Amino acid sequence: MSQNLFFSKDSEVTPANLGEAIQQAIEIEIATIPVYLYTYYSINRVPDQDTISGSLVQELVKKGVPVKEASEKALKLSAEIMVYANKAGALIMSVAIEEMLHMALSSNVKQALAGMPELVGKSPSVWPACLPGHEPEFPINRDKFSLDQLMTFLKIESPDPLPDPKLLAAPLPYKTIGLFYLMIIECIQNNELSYNTHSPQLLPNNGYYAQNNIDTVYYDKDHKPHFTNAPDSGDLLYVRDRDSAIHALHCIIEQGEGFQGQGFTPDGGVDCGIVLPADYDDFDKKELSHFEKFAQIYCHYKTLEDKFNGLGIGKIDISKYFVVNVPLNPSTAHYPDHIRPVSDFLNGVYTYLFVMVENCYRQAGNTQYEIFMFGVHKSMIFILNSVCGDIMKLTYKHGEQVYYAAPTFEDYPFGLLSSPKSQLIDLYTAAVAAYPAISYLGQRVQDLPDVPLQNHGEF
Amino acid sequence: MAIINYNPNLTLCGGTPPAPAPAPGAAAPVAATPSVELHVCMGLNACKGHDRNGTNNCAGTGYCATAEQHNCQTLNNCRGQGGCGLYGDAEQQMVPGANECAWQGSCAVPIQAERYSTLGDNVKKSVWLLARKLFEERMKKAKRVVGPAPFKCGPPQNWLISVLGSYDSCGNSGDKRCSFGFNNPEDHAEVLCKGKKE
Repeated sequence: MSQNLFFSKDSEVTPANLGEAIQQAIEIEIATIPVYLYTYYSINRVPDQDTISGSLVQELVKKGVPVKEASEKALKLSAEIMVYANKAGALIMSVAIEEMLHMALSSNVKQALAGMPELVGKSPSVWPACLPGHEPEFPINRDKFSLDQLMTFLKIESPDPLPDPKLLAAPLPYKTIGLFYLMIIECIQNNELSYNTHSPQLLPNNGYYAQNNIDTVYYDKDHKPHFTNAPDSGDLLYVRDRDSAIHALHCIIEQGEGFQGQGFTPDGGVDCGIVLPADYDDFDKKELSHFEKFAQIYCHYKTLEDKFNGLGIGKIDISKYFVVNVPLNPSTAHYPDHIRPVSDFLNGVYTYLFVMVENCYRQAGNTQYEIFMFGVHKSMIFILNSVCGDIMKLTYKHGEQVYYAAPTFEDYPFGLLSSPKSQLIDLYTAAVAAYPAISYLGQRVQDLPDVPLQNHGEF
Repeated sequence: MAIINYNPNLTLCGGTPPAPAPAPGAAAPVAATPSVELHVCMGLNACKGHDRNGTNNCAGTGYCATAEQHNCQTLNNCRGQGGCGLYGDAEQQMVPGANECAWQGSCAVPIQAERYSTLGDNVKKSVWLLARKLFEERMKKAKRVVGPAPFKCGPPQNWLISVLGSYDSCGNSGDKRCSFGFNNPEDHAEVLCKGKKE
């Protein structure tokens, strides 16, 4: 594991190290994005209900259950899997987009108080990774959806110190992400700081951030849509003074942990009881905190698994119905030849997103708007999301196991001799040669704005 | 590149502009084929003959979009050619078929009857009905008579598939028209058609 520690001696945020602390906060947010996205893409949100139902009927009939009864049970349980797979995907995506919001809010705070946020090349480079500065360290993997992976998500978002040393990688003092933000808030609260209101930030009311989209929606058994984020749960904020800076940081804490909601139970388990008001992150109590969202998925999984195991047809791993067999912590370098160029292209798009967002902190007005709307949105929804789906149609064999390729979300090392966009076009050309099915992405890549790499040393 | 020589009678603003230089080797000007207004769906055409088939009689009665078919946000070619509804912020989602510029439409074209908004005042309600309302308001200002759309709540997804060969709108959460065995998909379309929330 690697960890970037900004505080060399103490754990206090002071005006002198405030910039480093906020940069660390930005990198905490960035570190969560590949983890949540990787697990998200391992979920088949719309599995084939007929296949699930059919296999259940066969198993039940083999055990002597009459066909009619078996069919009714299978229909009900397969519908529950359909709902669960979609719900798990929607909730993880709802958290992932809020992590992107947190990255932007922290970047706004840094721009106002300490200069340019640094976003490019800040994704974890070594896996298992850990949250920068988090004590104690605990391993974070890019792994497929499972109860273990959900437990890692819960640790990331925990509002309380972890109570059971068995859960920890090392018995060291513990800090939560929320406490880390509170240290920054305390520094901002107690010091007269100067606020830069001239440099560009990502501002609200520009269409940059949307709390919900169709990917944060799931359907219940009656196919009625449910929205996992609330419109009042948070938005971009213009950071121009002490109050707005503190407001932005509180938004991050509350979305992650709720209004001081309960974390793990004293024995290190997950409380699957009733949801409390403190478990929400919005005033209307319509959106759960990140911790509680993951707790819901965790508890729902357990309930569903119990139902399947109560059928009397043996122990059933329900993840087989909707989780794709992707590798643990893959790297592009270890993929075979037919996948590597596609993975490089995917990572080029992923990295170019950070290049564009970072550039938005240098550009104001319509230039910023065009980069964000035509570059960031298009890359995220119509290039990255598409190629993530496409790469997962490719398989490879490792030992006796067949794996589906998965997005590795590694920072691509753009060189300085040509523009990142021209390098991205080259990556696309190499990828499409290996995998012609992605040729439909060519025009979309060509349409992206041409944004330069920045030298962080100049600020 | 054509060069416009200095003309003392020409001012930078106003005045009579010079005629455009003919393209090299161009023949005599030929009358251009009149283009149709580009709109995003059934029932949203402002003029006679302005649907995909060119056969509709009057405003609001056309069968299909004249704007280029696409399946999601940022893929519309120009102003007024985006579908809206499944991506984008609350403001963007309120202007299906009336976006300001290229790539600002927030969903697929054409707009299937089953599509609902995911943010804004129209959340969980039909996107097509909102598009039709905006269209009718525009026609009212233009003092135009608007006829009924072929389907009163927009084209059903299955009909679009039968006409277009395939149809897909964006998102990973699954088909908007679907059943897990406990609902009738037609009921959802009917709820949306009545202007109610899904």
